[in-house]
Amino acid sequence: MFTKILIANRGEIALRILRACRTLGVEAVVAYSEADRDSLAVQLADEAICIGPSDARRSYLSVPAIISAAVVTGCDAIHPGYGFLSEDETFAEVVRAHDLTFIGPPPEVLDRFASKEGTRRLLGEYGLPTIPGSVGMIRDDEHALVEAERIGYPVLIKPSAGGGGKGMRMVRTPRELESAIKVCRSEAKSAFGDDSLYLEKWLDDTRHVEVQVAVDRYGKGIHLGERDCSVQRRHQKIIEEGPTPALTPAARADLCDRAIAAVVAAGYENIGTLEFLVDAEGDPYFIEINCRIQVEHGVTEMLTGIDLVAMQIKIAAGEPLAYDQADVQPRGHAIEFRINAEDPEHDFRPGAGVVERYHAPGGPGIRMDSHLFPGYEVPPFYDSLLGKLMAWGPDRATAIERGRAALDELVIDGIITNVEIHKALIANETFLEGRMTTNLLDRVGSAAFLAAAARS
Amino acid sequence: MPQEREPDRDAPRADREAARPDRDAPRADREAARPDREAARAAAHAGIGQLLDSLVPSLIAKLATLNVGELEVTEGDWHVRLRRPAGAGPDLGRRATDRTGPRAHGSHEGVGAPGPGRGITGSGTGSGTGSGTVSGAASGAASGASASSNGTPPGLAPVGPGRPDEGEAGHAAALAATRDPIATSPAVGIFQPGPTAVAGTRVKAGDRVGVVDMLGIPQDVVAPTDGIVIGVIVEGGTAVEYGQDLVHIEAPTATEAR
Repeated sequence: MFTKILIANRGEIALRILRACRTLGVEAVVAYSEADRDSLAVQLADEAICIGPSDARRSYLSVPAIISAAVVTGCDAIHPGYGFLSEDETFAEVVRAHDLTFIGPPPEVLDRFASKEGTRRLLGEYGLPTIPGSVGMIRDDEHALVEAERIGYPVLIKPSAGGGGKGMRMVRTPRELESAIKVCRSEAKSAFGDDSLYLEKWLDDTRHVEVQVAVDRYGKGIHLGERDCSVQRRHQKIIEEGPTPALTPAARADLCDRAIAAVVAAGYENIGTLEFLVDAEGDPYFIEINCRIQVEHGVTEMLTGIDLVAMQIKIAAGEPLAYDQADVQPRGHAIEFRINAEDPEHDFRPGAGVVERYHAPGGPGIRMDSHLFPGYEVPPFYDSLLGKLMAWGPDRATAIERGRAALDELVIDGIITNVEIHKALIANETFLEGRMTTNLLDRVGSAAFLAAAARS
Repeated sequence: MPQEREPDRDAPRADREAARPDRDAPRADREAARPDREAARAAAHAGIGQLLDSLVPSLIAKLATLNVGELEVTEGDWHVRLRRPAGAGPDLGRRATDRTGPRAHGSHEGVGAPGPGRGITGSGTGSGTGSGTVSGAASGAASGASASSNGTPPGLAPVGPGRPDEGEAGHAAALAATRDPIATSPAVGIFQPGPTAVAGTRVKAGDRVGVVDMLGIPQDVVAPTDGIVIGVIVEGGTAVEYGQDLVHIEAPTATEAR
């Protein structure tokens, strides 16, 4: 096991990692930016070191600053948390070059899973269903028409170099395809300098379901069940729950078994999350893997009773998995609400300010992971996550009831939060019936949810 | 692990602002070279310039390394007395020698309690909630500074991790607002003072007074303003964090330093 870990992150996850270190009896050093000097993780840390100014590029994203901090404080491992440098294979390599351990997959594993397209192909070869698409890039209009016919309309035209929706079009007919291809090519050319396009089957009303896996250095792997993250706003998850209401127990078990078999076969190491889109028929399609601890890991911890951060640290330290698949027995239902400093009344505009009063709810099955305290000044420089309120119950209805009571009990005064949208969502019929899809909140508009909640 | 807590910097910001005028008030005394009798005045004037140039800088340097609040030298009819500015004294003195690198800090107790000898005693513990006791230094001025910060609430009060308030408003602004200029660390690494980081050396704003070695790459520590080096706050070879106070510089005049 490590003797001292540098926590190269902030907010609630820095605190969460600190707690895992305490549980494991490992010393921890919290690396912080000037904006986080008064943060809870810094206050509670055994040791803390300022690595740079508030600008993340010169602190939490600065590879030399973080490595130097680890070296001068005598750490032998670095935990990157999520976001920032958590999935940066170059960072992981530099960490190793300084005789430190990156807590996450080893650099060569990160490298193997770095490309989304490559990972889909790789895991597709090991039995994961992927979204049907054209074989390779489309050569010309005729090729595109043939491929689209084979995939089945509607299809999505996607640029190979893509990102951010540029050069992307959904088409329903061959006629639309022919005219859209030209537009997409020129958009892709100007946006990415590369006009190669491919086709993918368009999926309506999808659910987001993800499988938590853990694989040790010796090739032993287990899955820890799945989470449903279909309540999203502009591709940002806001409520996560497990198990998914979208699949039958048999379909869930099948998905999890296939996921762990594929990543073990593909040589994955450490904890990770495989994300799938599930269509209206309940068919899952693999989309990407996240090679880090995720914000919503607490849902799985509440279901399984397993400390995922501790597990992640142990795997990175070379310890064999302490659990067999049979030891993982998820119980009941858990829901997580991401509490953000965002104003749902004003298009979720992020806010900052001083927390005047703070009270974390409690009671059976309630967990609040947050770095807030009365008097804490939320800095404007980073993401808006203030904490995660989790509710567990023996069944989904109880978890929802407990979640509702906890949201009512939660007190955060002084800054605007998105708590109202959570209250509106868990009062909503679609959510209660477990029928939320990833595009619903954006399509209907969060204002409609708020208004509906206000009426009832 | 040694605690590195300064009461003033731990106080909520409003308290800190309020504390500042007091802290700076007795400062003018520092350079007061006071002739004793009227008759000596003429002779004294001739000596003053020479004295200020040679003796005073070395006395300031001496004061910075000693744990006393006041220093008085008598030579013939002359008495030169230097007194630390309230607040700055014990703080700088402590940092000069106690700082061994990035350190633990926890919530503080017994702020301002009288303590023996120099400014700080403390025990860092693994839990991070260990006690850190900061005591006033010997002189009345320094003790007063300690006492003035007694209002800091215990518990989850913001904890200053090692240096004062440069961070919030940017270095320049904070330096202008606090006391003497201080050259701070540009990076996390190992500090090495340069040849100019010697008491009495005149430096110009932007002059290099040392480097912080970050993974083998030296990052310049620069003087924030023109002035005279009083001394290093951190020994060479010490691990330092970003923004840490490294070299104390005396601004040309007290008013310019504010």
